[in-house]
Amino acid sequence: MSSFLRVAGLRRIYDSVAAVDDISFEVNKGEFVALLGPSGCGKSTTLKMIAGLEQPDAGSIEIDGSDVLAKTPGKRNLSMVFQSYALFPHLSVKENILFGLKARKVAKKEQKTRLASAVAMVDLEPHLNKKPGQLSGGQSQRVALARSIVSNAPLCLMDEPLSNLDTKLRADMRSEIRSLQKKLGLTVVYVTHDQIEAMSMADRIILLNEGRVEQAAVPESFYNEPGSTFVASFIGHPPMNLVSHNDFQLGVRPEDVAVTDGNGNGVDVIVRECDYQGSETIVTTDYQGSVIRACLPGKRSLQEGSRVQLQWLPEAEHFFDKQSGQRVDRNSVPPFQFTSSNNNTYSGGI
Amino acid sequence: MRSSRQIHAWLLLLPALCLLVAFTHYPVIKTIARSFFGFGTRWEGKASLDNYRFLLEDDVLMQVLFNSFLYAAITVPVSIILAIAMALWVNSKMVGRGILRTAYFTPTVLPMISVANIWLFFYSPEIGLLNKLLGLVGHGGINWLGDPSVALYSLMAMTIWKEAGFFMIFYLAALQTIDSNLYHAAAIENASKWTVFKRITFPLLMPTTLFVLVNALLNAFKLVDHLFILTKGGPNNASNLLLYYIFENAFSFFDTAYAAALTVLLLSILVVLALVQFGVIEKRVHYR
Amino acid sequence: MWLNALKRTAAAAAIFAVTAPALAETELTMFYPVAVGGALTKIVDGIVADFETANPDIDVNAIYAGNYNDARVKALAALQSGDPAQLSVMFSIDVHELMDLDAIVPFDDVVTSDEEKQWLDSFYPALMENGKVDGKTYGVPFQRSTIVMYYNKDMFREAGLDPEKPPTSWEELAEVGAALTKKNADGNVETWGAMIPSTGYQYWMFGALTKQQGRVLMNQEGNETYFNDPKVVDALNFWKDLGSKHAVMPEGIIEWGTLRQNFLEEKTAIMWHSTGNLTTVKNNATFDFGVAMLPAGSELGSPTGGGNFYIFKDATEEERAASLKLIRFMTSPEQAEKWSIETGYMGVSPAAYDTPELAEYVKTFPPAAIARDQLQHATAELSTHQAGRVRKLLDDAIQSVLSGQSTAEEALDSAQKQAERILSRYK
Repeated sequence: MSSFLRVAGLRRIYDSVAAVDDISFEVNKGEFVALLGPSGCGKSTTLKMIAGLEQPDAGSIEIDGSDVLAKTPGKRNLSMVFQSYALFPHLSVKENILFGLKARKVAKKEQKTRLASAVAMVDLEPHLNKKPGQLSGGQSQRVALARSIVSNAPLCLMDEPLSNLDTKLRADMRSEIRSLQKKLGLTVVYVTHDQIEAMSMADRIILLNEGRVEQAAVPESFYNEPGSTFVASFIGHPPMNLVSHNDFQLGVRPEDVAVTDGNGNGVDVIVRECDYQGSETIVTTDYQGSVIRACLPGKRSLQEGSRVQLQWLPEAEHFFDKQSGQRVDRNSVPPFQFTSSNNNTYSGGI
Repeated sequence: MRSSRQIHAWLLLLPALCLLVAFTHYPVIKTIARSFFGFGTRWEGKASLDNYRFLLEDDVLMQVLFNSFLYAAITVPVSIILAIAMALWVNSKMVGRGILRTAYFTPTVLPMISVANIWLFFYSPEIGLLNKLLGLVGHGGINWLGDPSVALYSLMAMTIWKEAGFFMIFYLAALQTIDSNLYHAAAIENASKWTVFKRITFPLLMPTTLFVLVNALLNAFKLVDHLFILTKGGPNNASNLLLYYIFENAFSFFDTAYAAALTVLLLSILVVLALVQFGVIEKRVHYR
Repeated sequence: MWLNALKRTAAAAAIFAVTAPALAETELTMFYPVAVGGALTKIVDGIVADFETANPDIDVNAIYAGNYNDARVKALAALQSGDPAQLSVMFSIDVHELMDLDAIVPFDDVVTSDEEKQWLDSFYPALMENGKVDGKTYGVPFQRSTIVMYYNKDMFREAGLDPEKPPTSWEELAEVGAALTKKNADGNVETWGAMIPSTGYQYWMFGALTKQQGRVLMNQEGNETYFNDPKVVDALNFWKDLGSKHAVMPEGIIEWGTLRQNFLEEKTAIMWHSTGNLTTVKNNATFDFGVAMLPAGSELGSPTGGGNFYIFKDATEEERAASLKLIRFMTSPEQAEKWSIETGYMGVSPAAYDTPELAEYVKTFPPAAIARDQLQHATAELSTHQAGRVRKLLDDAIQSVLSGQSTAEEALDSAQKQAERILSRYK
């Protein structure tokens, strides 16, 4: 597959601070790519520059093989779904959906057919004559999607489209958007700060941090092989435990940590808190001032202040360079030494 | 329980009610009474329609009414259109818009009387700015306030200059509440500037327009301060407006009774205008 | 209201406490108008301050109240509100209306001593005309004027005219005016020969023209007008002709408020204006100017104008006495002299011109005496019952003629008919 969207060396500077700092990536035709990152990482700015709503200070953007930098948003042949939906409050649902077609002076007859098919796809028939103020959040979201669908644009940009919905609705909409995308063969760039959205929907995730690409890969590798301590602590809930040792940091996911009673071979820690979450219990422990969390199945209650030991498999360990935060190969790291109560040392794994 | 709460409610309303009765309702009733029972500054024993009969015979009043409606019909739409245009311009991202905003708003801050005094000199035929400009292109000049066919329009121009800046502030505030994403969405749909204005900005400004329209119309009938300075209603009533005519009758002619009848007429006009505006137009304005 | 009553009681008590006059205090409120430009309020404040120094038992609250119309409105509003003024300077021609409203007392009821009666007779008789009704004096002259002719001597010289020979007749006014009117290359007039203002007080200007035709506009009782007298019609036609026929004056309406500036900027060589502008013109003219009596038609003439003192009926005996004291102070030759020099209004009594200061001033600045000298040709200003309405009829008629909406005959006939209808109730 050829790359449909190509972003290279993109840079945007606000008040001498780079909001987007040399970002490059490519998106293939029909691919669903999530731009993931914490707020302020530059993901929305990047999206706006692709849309043409903001001008980059440097870099290039190509869509379908042609440079679009000089083109206005309306000439870039893309559609966009906004976080606030950006529905016109004074227009009916129907008029909202048809707005673009009318602006582009599409023939009346074609307007009608495109409207009908878009509306059918997102189940909006009963609401066509309502005003946005009379719609629920989910319905508003569908209108925004329909507006995008009728445009027939091959590239769809979505800016946190689900963040204003409640949790359950969000889950439904995730799969709905994903299936729409597949059905229509859309190329989607999807901005979100929600790792679950990114993980569950995207073919590929581009994780941004402070205006730079931190890691670009398929979702699984973010979990299995985080490329840096930033990725490690951003992905997963609760995030990966990180313990410093000499020039390195050891990372272990809480899901991989087991708790034993304290007389065996393991890391001696003090229990600080047990947080029961239904399917699991998150135990927060203190290891010489560092926090290590363990995620245990079911309900577990451990006495606060009691001493326990933690264990994990060697395969669950990840290593990072302390200075750069970059992932390093485990073979280049000397064994970690944990102090235990009986003066034994625990070097990880069972 | 219920009645005690009602008493409570009435007690809370009482202070405002007192003020309203004392300064609004009582004067209105007294004015209406005076228009039937008054003659000159005196009260007559029995009611008569003399003051209202005179309304029909009063040639000056006919001219004044015509002037007032023409004045409203021109100043209101023109100042609203100008206000929107200025607000759109000032709201755009450009260098020096702060200065521009201040410049547009200044006329509003100045008292009507001082503005009129300034414009009196603009309009002065021999030394005035306007005729000096006309002189540059070889025109002999216009007697802006002295020519009966021009005077009223000269007043309108000043009113528009003064009002548009004020209304601009409302439009500016309204513009800033419009979600910028709406414009982004329109931009992505390749909507032209005119389409954006016609289909998004203008409809979204409608509530403001209603508010401004009501105010502008009321002002058109209420604001006559500048007449005192500029024309005193002249020449020969060519620029006389209803409220100024009421003032003339009440305080220059001491005919408070006839002034009361004129006031009742003005009140009726305003009530009808308000009813039309809120009844008919409001239905089309609210979209939430 | 309550506080006022308390003050009055205190004042009344003070009459009996003759031994402690320092405690006695009468408080007076006075409105006064300013109809011409300049810092006249400061001058009034200065005179009032002098009076208070001389009379520590009287406290004067002098309030500037706008033009003549505003002053009347404010004084009458104060009267109705129950917190009235005791005296005011108001338009000399308001007398009939103020009497109809039963608002004022004649001075004859207030003066007691022979000295005071003498004072009441000390003014120029022409200035008393507007203040006297049915043989009683209701208004005492204060800021009084006539209309005079200001002319630009430099422009006279430029036009080859003798700067010491201003026009003395209507014919000369038209001739001299024609010589003074200058056009530019485009054929547009750059400077005019003369201007007579036709807004604000056009009936007053018209009063001059009719007097110059040997006519007055109304009777002394204020219940008859003579607007459509053939000579009055002629007067209005002459005014119009200055613009349309002789073309020495702009056609149409000339603004009262900006006329002085026109003259100061040399846009017109001659203006008719109140003598109350004299000092301001003197201080601001950048050219040599003169002042002359208005030119004669069949005779010389100008109406008097300006403001008189009135005492309100509501004032108590003590307040009336204190008001009289204040009025006598402000119209005394010494104050009148100062007032005249600083404003250009005339000294209201012959004695004012006998003071060394004013005598000297008139000698070095002869224009200061023109208004006075013109008094012998002066007549009363238009003053009738329902003065505002009647005045407006004439004002509108004048403007409709000058702006070419109707002929002088039609307009004045119609104004006369309506005036007769209004005034029929007062016969």
